[in-house]
Amino acid sequence: MLFVAIFSLSLGGFLFLLTIKTLLSFKTTVPLEDKSKFERKGYLVFLLACVTLSVRMIVWPWFYFMLQSFVSEVPGAMCMFGVTQILPSTVTFLQIIKPISFFIMGGWLLCYYVDKSTPTAPLARKNLLFLLIVCGVLLADGIGDIYYVIRMKPLMSVSCCATFFDVPLRPSAMIPQAIFGRNFQKILFILYYLSNIILIILLLTGISRKWESLTPKYRMIILYSQYAIGIINIPVVIYTIIENIAPKLMQLPYHHCIYCFMGNGMVPDAPIMLGLFVIGTFAIGWMGILRLLCKNGEARLITERLLLKGNNVSAFCFLASIIMVTIHLILI
Amino acid sequence: MTKKFWIGLIIILIVALMGVYYQKFLKNPHCAYDGSPVTPIYEVDIVLKEKSTKKFCSIYCATQWFKNNVTLIDHVIVTDEIRGNKIDSYMAYFVESELITNETNDNRIHVFQQRQDALTHAEKFHGTMTDDPFSLDE
Repeated sequence: MLFVAIFSLSLGGFLFLLTIKTLLSFKTTVPLEDKSKFERKGYLVFLLACVTLSVRMIVWPWFYFMLQSFVSEVPGAMCMFGVTQILPSTVTFLQIIKPISFFIMGGWLLCYYVDKSTPTAPLARKNLLFLLIVCGVLLADGIGDIYYVIRMKPLMSVSCCATFFDVPLRPSAMIPQAIFGRNFQKILFILYYLSNIILIILLLTGISRKWESLTPKYRMIILYSQYAIGIINIPVVIYTIIENIAPKLMQLPYHHCIYCFMGNGMVPDAPIMLGLFVIGTFAIGWMGILRLLCKNGEARLITERLLLKGNNVSAFCFLASIIMVTIHLILI
Repeated sequence: MTKKFWIGLIIILIVALMGVYYQKFLKNPHCAYDGSPVTPIYEVDIVLKEKSTKKFCSIYCATQWFKNNVTLIDHVIVTDEIRGNKIDSYMAYFVESELITNETNDNRIHVFQQRQDALTHAEKFHGTMTDDPFSLDE
């Protein structure tokens, strides 16, 4: 982890400087004699970005593998939750920034793919500006990783996950209870299926033949509904997993720890279920980024094709995730 | 929907079924007393003097086997119903309540690591604290 963090941080720092330099010397029209040099430099920046971002994207699941590997080292830790009790603010920061960086890096790679597929690279400037933001997040994430790995010393005794996840006043129970009342677990469960099914239907509408025959107004309504339900779906899925799905699937009816669910091997395919949900949700966001940045002029056709694929991937991931959960709930 | 979409769904279906199969048949062994699958939350492990372990689906099955094989037993490990932690039976709190853990043998004895959990359960399901059924007299 430390090696990957240092490697990607140095590449990221170099990339950040190179991007600023390229942006400052960016011209829409380049003299013919400088064209080859300019193209080579641009190509190098983007190639470096692709390598660095791909490495950084893998770091997200890797981070949890690292936490899991520390469990046996930390006195009192039963699962990853115990490890998160050492340098808690840094771990919280890393757990928040990692999905954000995964999301925007994925978005950038898709924008780059669109730009690369067009002969005149009309999105080069936009991509460079976007890359600057991505580099900022990458640097913060990388510095956080290095700080955590160096400072993390498993010397103190930590508490078990049950003291946080299984108490009656746990946040995952209190928040839904405040919204839905005492029977919140049942309502959450219904809402989980409802929001996922609606989302899948909306995504499938986007790839059906009827999509072309719809008026722009209806298309916009469907698109905005996708975004809205996609966002609502995030807390609904997280709370339902913690409150309903994880205890049932782990066969521990009173244990709500998502770290045990994910990493203790009680449900071996749990990371796949969660991973599919994450990719499905992020794919909706990535389509939003593509619509925002790449849907003009020359890139339009390629973007449309990519959006179709994104719709397909997102619908598949949600459907696959919900099928896996349902099979487990029925057969366990 | 493309062919890839359906193939992907079939793969996911197979992965999920394999996960269930692993949980039901590979991870969860069968009870050494009545042969039924052992639910992790109610698992009882009896460690023998020759270092092998016998797994049981409930306190009832484990005590039945325990009574007939006391001389062979080294110690007994029970599972906390709240957290799923495995603890030595002499450290656990036992509650006999109206709640049945296993309908086939009508087991009503519950195991807790924390005294407070045991008291809460006893209050909720009209139970009483009982002695360790696996106490080995020296």
